[in-house]
Amino acid sequence: MTPHSLLFDSDSDCKSPSIQARVTSFAIALLALSVVLFAAFYVLQYQWNWSSVFRYKAKFLQGWLATLGISSISLIFSFLVGTIATVCYRSRFLPLKYLANLYVELIRGTPLLVQIYLFFYVIANAADIQNRYLVGVLIMAIFSGAYISEIFRAGIEGVGRSQLLSAKAIGFSEYQTFRYVIAPQALRSSLPALAGQTANLIKDSSLLSIIAISEFTLNAQEVNAFTYSSFESFFPLALGYLALTLPIMRLSRILEKRLRFDT
Amino acid sequence: MTAHPRILVLRIGTFLLGLASLVFSGCNSSRDPNTLVVGMELSYPPFEMTDEHNVPVGVSVEIAKALAADLGKELKIENIPFAGLIPALRTNKIDLVISSMTRTVERAQSIDFSAPYLTTGLCLLVSKETSISTIADLDKAGIRIAVKQGTTGHIYATNHIRNARVLPFEKETAATLEVSQGKADAFIYDQMSTYMNWKKHPETTRPLLTPFTQESWAIGLEKGNDELRTEINQFLKNYKADGGFERLGDQFLSEQKHAFGKLGFPFFF
Repeated sequence: MTPHSLLFDSDSDCKSPSIQARVTSFAIALLALSVVLFAAFYVLQYQWNWSSVFRYKAKFLQGWLATLGISSISLIFSFLVGTIATVCYRSRFLPLKYLANLYVELIRGTPLLVQIYLFFYVIANAADIQNRYLVGVLIMAIFSGAYISEIFRAGIEGVGRSQLLSAKAIGFSEYQTFRYVIAPQALRSSLPALAGQTANLIKDSSLLSIIAISEFTLNAQEVNAFTYSSFESFFPLALGYLALTLPIMRLSRILEKRLRFDT
Repeated sequence: MTAHPRILVLRIGTFLLGLASLVFSGCNSSRDPNTLVVGMELSYPPFEMTDEHNVPVGVSVEIAKALAADLGKELKIENIPFAGLIPALRTNKIDLVISSMTRTVERAQSIDFSAPYLTTGLCLLVSKETSISTIADLDKAGIRIAVKQGTTGHIYATNHIRNARVLPFEKETAATLEVSQGKADAFIYDQMSTYMNWKKHPETTRPLLTPFTQESWAIGLEKGNDELRTEINQFLKNYKADGGFERLGDQFLSEQKHAFGKLGFPFFF
C-alpha cells in the first residue's frame, strides 16, 4: 500500500460520494443490467413457466442446505489438509517436501471433474468407502486444500527477510520466530485470499452433482429435467449460490481494507 | 477510483448499450434455411456416437443424413447433452431432435413428435450379487437405483419409486459403473443399452432384459411446425418401405439383433 493510494482511498476521505449518490448509481447499474437481461430474453421469445418450477421449492431448499453442509464440512477439512501440506512443504525432509509440492501441482493442474471421477470410482472404490457424501467431502477438502496450502505458503514467504534476521538477532528460537513473527503476519495477509477460496469451494462443490450427490446443482438439474424448462431453475440456482458467496466476498473486501492500515 | 458519479453513470450506460447491441445482433442472425440442424447426444452407441476422427456416426446419424437428403438440405449435427435437447429445440438452436428420444405425454407438452420409428422398453441392469429379479423387487428401503438424468428411466423412477433411493447421473457410463461396483443395485435403462452395458461388465452385472414398459422413439420438432412434421412422417414411411431401417439394424446392431432373436424379444425397428 503506497501513501498515494492511501490518500485517495474512497472510504477514508471526505471527497467520497454521498450515500444518496451511491444508492442512485447502484440502482442505475442494477437497472441497466436488468434491461440487458430482459432484452436478451425478449429476443429469445422464451415461454416462461415458473409455476411448474415453483412446485419443486422444497427440492431447491433441500439441495441448498446440502450444499451449505457439504461446503462447511469440506472447508474445515480443507484447512486441515492445507495446513498439513504447508508444513510438509516447509519440511527439511526432502521426500516430504516433494510430496507436498507434487500434491499441490497435480491438484491445481488438473480439472476437478477428472479428480472427482478418479477419486470416487477408483481410489474410494479400492479403499471401500461406500458413502458418497463422505467421498464428496473428502474430494472437496483435498481439492481446496491444495489452494489453501498455496495461499499459506505465499503468506509465509511474504514475511520480509529482514524480520527473520531481526528475530534471530534478538535470540528467538526457530519456533518462536514462527509463532510470534511469521504466523501472525502470514495469517493476516492470507485472510482475503482465504475468504475468496471459500467462495470458490462453495461454487466448485456443484461439480459433485456428477456422482449423484444430491446437492443444489443436481436438484436444480433434476427440476429442469422433470419440467422440461430451460432457464427457470437456473435463476433460483444462481440466487442460492449468491446468497452464500456474496457475504463471503463482502467479508473479503472488509478484511482487505482493514489490513491496509496494519502494514 | 473516485470518478464523478455522473461520468460513471455515463460510462456504464455506454458500456451496456454496446453490450445490448451485441446481444441483439448475435441472436437475430437467423440460421441458414438450407441447413437442417439436428441435435443429439453423441454418447449413446450405436445410435449416436463419434468415430476416432470425432465425426458423428450411428443409426440416428444415418437417419438424419437420409432425412436431410430427402428434404434437400445440408445436414449439421449439434452434440448436446440429453437433458438439454428439448431446451435447445425450444430456443430454436436446432431444428430437430433425433437422439433415441421416447415420445412421452410430458415431452409432447413442450415439443411435437413425428410418427414413431422404433419400439423398445425399459429394463434393468442389476449387480450380480443382488436377489432382484423383477421391477417389483426394486422399490424397497435401502435399495439404490441409478438412472440417467432426463431419460424415461428417470421419469419412471420419479413417478413409481417411493421407498428406494434414486441416484440421477449425467453419464450413462457413471450409472453403469455404480451398478458394476455395487454402489447402486440397479440401473433402469432401455433394453439395447442394458444389453451393451452388461457386455462391458459381464463379471459384475446381470441384465434383466424383459421390458416393464413399452415406449417408442420419435423425431422431436418445434411445436406447430405441421408442414415439416408431415414431410418427416412421409420420409419415415418411405425409408421403412425401402428397407432402410433393416439395413441400419444389420449395419450397427447385428449382435443385438441376433441376441434378442435368441431371447425371443421382437427386434426394434
